[in-house]
Amino acid sequence: MKIILRAILITLPILFFTFFYLYINEDKYYPGADFRKFEMPIFKINSLYDESNISNNDLKGAYLVNVWASWCITCRVEHGFLSKLSNEGIPIIGLNYKDKKDDAISWITKFGDPYELIIHDLKGELALDMGVTGAPETFLLHNGNVIAQYRGEVNKMIWNDVFMPIIEKEEIFNND
Amino acid sequence: MLIEVAHYLSILATGLFFLCFLFAFILSAKDIFVINLVSRVYTHGFLFLLISFLIYVWLAINDNFNVLYIAQHSNTNLPTFYKISSIWSAHEGSMFLWIVFLCLWGVIFNLFTKNIQDLKAKSLGVISFVAVGFLLFLLLTSNPFLTILPIAPENGADINPVLQDPALAIHPPILYLGYVGFVIAFAHAIAFLVNGDPSIKWESLVRTWSISSWSLLTVGIALGSWWAYYELGWGGYWFWDPVENVALMPWLAATAFVHSLSVSIKSSLLRIWTILLSIIVFSLSLFGAFIVRSGIIDSVHSFANDPERGLYLLGFIAILIVISTILFSFRLSILASKRNIASFSKESFISINNIIFGTLIFSTMLGVLYPLIYEYLYDQKISVGAPFYNAIFIPLTLIAGIFLFFSIDSKWQRSVKIINFLSPMSASLLIAGASLFLINYFLAINDYSILLSVFVGILILVRYMFVIYEYLFKRKYSNPYSIIAHLGLSILIISIAFNSEFSSERALNIRMNESDTYRGYDIKFDDLRLEKSSNYDAVIASFILNGSDGRNFILKPEKRKYFARGQITTETAIKISPLKDIYMTIGDQLDDGSWIVNIQLNYFIRWIWFSAIMMAFAGLMLAYSLVRGKR
Repeated sequence: MKIILRAILITLPILFFTFFYLYINEDKYYPGADFRKFEMPIFKINSLYDESNISNNDLKGAYLVNVWASWCITCRVEHGFLSKLSNEGIPIIGLNYKDKKDDAISWITKFGDPYELIIHDLKGELALDMGVTGAPETFLLHNGNVIAQYRGEVNKMIWNDVFMPIIEKEEIFNND
Repeated sequence: MLIEVAHYLSILATGLFFLCFLFAFILSAKDIFVINLVSRVYTHGFLFLLISFLIYVWLAINDNFNVLYIAQHSNTNLPTFYKISSIWSAHEGSMFLWIVFLCLWGVIFNLFTKNIQDLKAKSLGVISFVAVGFLLFLLLTSNPFLTILPIAPENGADINPVLQDPALAIHPPILYLGYVGFVIAFAHAIAFLVNGDPSIKWESLVRTWSISSWSLLTVGIALGSWWAYYELGWGGYWFWDPVENVALMPWLAATAFVHSLSVSIKSSLLRIWTILLSIIVFSLSLFGAFIVRSGIIDSVHSFANDPERGLYLLGFIAILIVISTILFSFRLSILASKRNIASFSKESFISINNIIFGTLIFSTMLGVLYPLIYEYLYDQKISVGAPFYNAIFIPLTLIAGIFLFFSIDSKWQRSVKIINFLSPMSASLLIAGASLFLINYFLAINDYSILLSVFVGILILVRYMFVIYEYLFKRKYSNPYSIIAHLGLSILIISIAFNSEFSSERALNIRMNESDTYRGYDIKFDDLRLEKSSNYDAVIASFILNGSDGRNFILKPEKRKYFARGQITTETAIKISPLKDIYMTIGDQLDDGSWIVNIQLNYFIRWIWFSAIMMAFAGLMLAYSLVRGKR
């Protein structure tokens, strides 16, 4: 009787924790990641540098779209990793979010520019259509569709665990 | 520069706590030299940690945005008060505060307990072990001391606007103090089990600590509920949100624990329950931390997170709990009591209470875990909501209430014939029955569970009135703290019942200068203004309400848009009166120019928080009297 009681007492918590271990490890669990596919909204917004327009036509093929702003501290943290990705040949479009033009340009001048194009979304219209809740967020765009999204800072771990699997599956960014 | 000093001091503190743990468990703890050593090492460890934390607070006050965490969560425009509270507005800083509080309880215990106390060294060892585990968690996975170099941002980001609120600035610290306070009871339980000498009365050593923690936990939960009501605009007092549940479970366990504690102190009965509950309370507190910090559950409390944190916490909590249960299961024999519990004694009622509370905890845990298990197995998200919890909590609480009614005049360790108390009991039954009849006659309540709850609430209330009468005029001894706390319980039951019966809400669709009516109130949309403040833009609506009782007043619900994060918040407008709150929030403007406005009548909602404060007050008074009694 006592042995049974002992066994139950010890097994229960062990079972409990094994469950949580399995749960967390299932698919490494990233609350910020979202893989629901949706069409890139139609837009036409000024570039950050000049008055020229950027629209859907400029985003054919595969791109990362990174939402950033000069007031966003985490974007500053993320910046280093994005620069690295950019150097490795991953094309990144910047979506400058609710930011003053001068602030954004001086930020880019100070820290460097990892972006191929920067959309100046002053009022956050495009961001709203894309379902952005804050900066930074990063979208993976493929043939006019958003196929992956991450809310929060993208770093090496997030890149490898959230973006790489779907990039390999869809065989994008393979040309180089 | 200073931040590196703070970082270094924290690492140093971790090392000292680890030494303290080693000394307590490797050297012979009976040796007074060893106890002195452990005690001193602990105090110094705490001192380093405290200085480190104070430096951190100082850096936050002075806007040192070289520190990544402060830059991310504070802003030059914030008042100093919020600069400090921004420290616990997100994961890293709040974890830091959590650890400081954990060690603070330890150091108060250390300083106010004589070194000859049997379990002191080992208890400090256990506390140090827990502290080391969490400090490593802090330093390795969620380091608040990281810096951004070389260029610091000028103004910082901002604290989340919904957190810029006095209730929220104090809700986390008080809740944390409550949670981690149970480390003292837990540490003593473990020390007692390791020691293995059944003659040591560990229960009486932890009573004051446990009761004060319980009171703080009660206040902390009530504050959280109040904040969600008026600042988040949830419009109620409890939502069975998973994070509310993980705070409720330790509270339930702690309530059972402090009851069970008084039995074990008096008669060494229920020792198995007491030990088990002390382990459960602390485990549930840690489990709460795990659920909130790992981001497993989406809620207002989940912090941005990565899975490494969840894994680390899970591992550490697993180690603590598995070790405790193994120890417990092997020491069962020294805990078992040879005597039986007399029926209709206080002990018997408290064991029934333990069983009921155990069931409540188990059911809540089931409600929290079930969606997770379901998702794991079937990959579908489901949620367990109020109907499940109501179905369990209402009947069980009422049963507990009825047992409480019968237990009021029971005695310790001997059975009492109910016949002796027939007159106050039947009088209370009569009064409660009569008032129920009157309430039903005038208010026409049809719901049986509401009627029954009101009945049980009044029953307890009236019964205690008799007790108070005898206490004051016949000099018959009763425990005054118990009276206050249980009166709080009866008020809680009655106000929750009335609240769910009478409260109502409606979404109005209303244009400027138009009127509408709701439950005897004429509501006139009088004005709409745009206002600019230093860190947000606001839309302020103004409504004139005319009550059928001739009273009229103005309510001004608000919507704010904060610059720093672009976040939109709603500011509720509440007209408070003793019986009800009139509660308004403003939603969106529709295309035809009308606004969606939500109006709620919340009955007795103040009484719910008041009853929680009453219970906490009773607990604090008891703790105070215990401390004073010792001197």
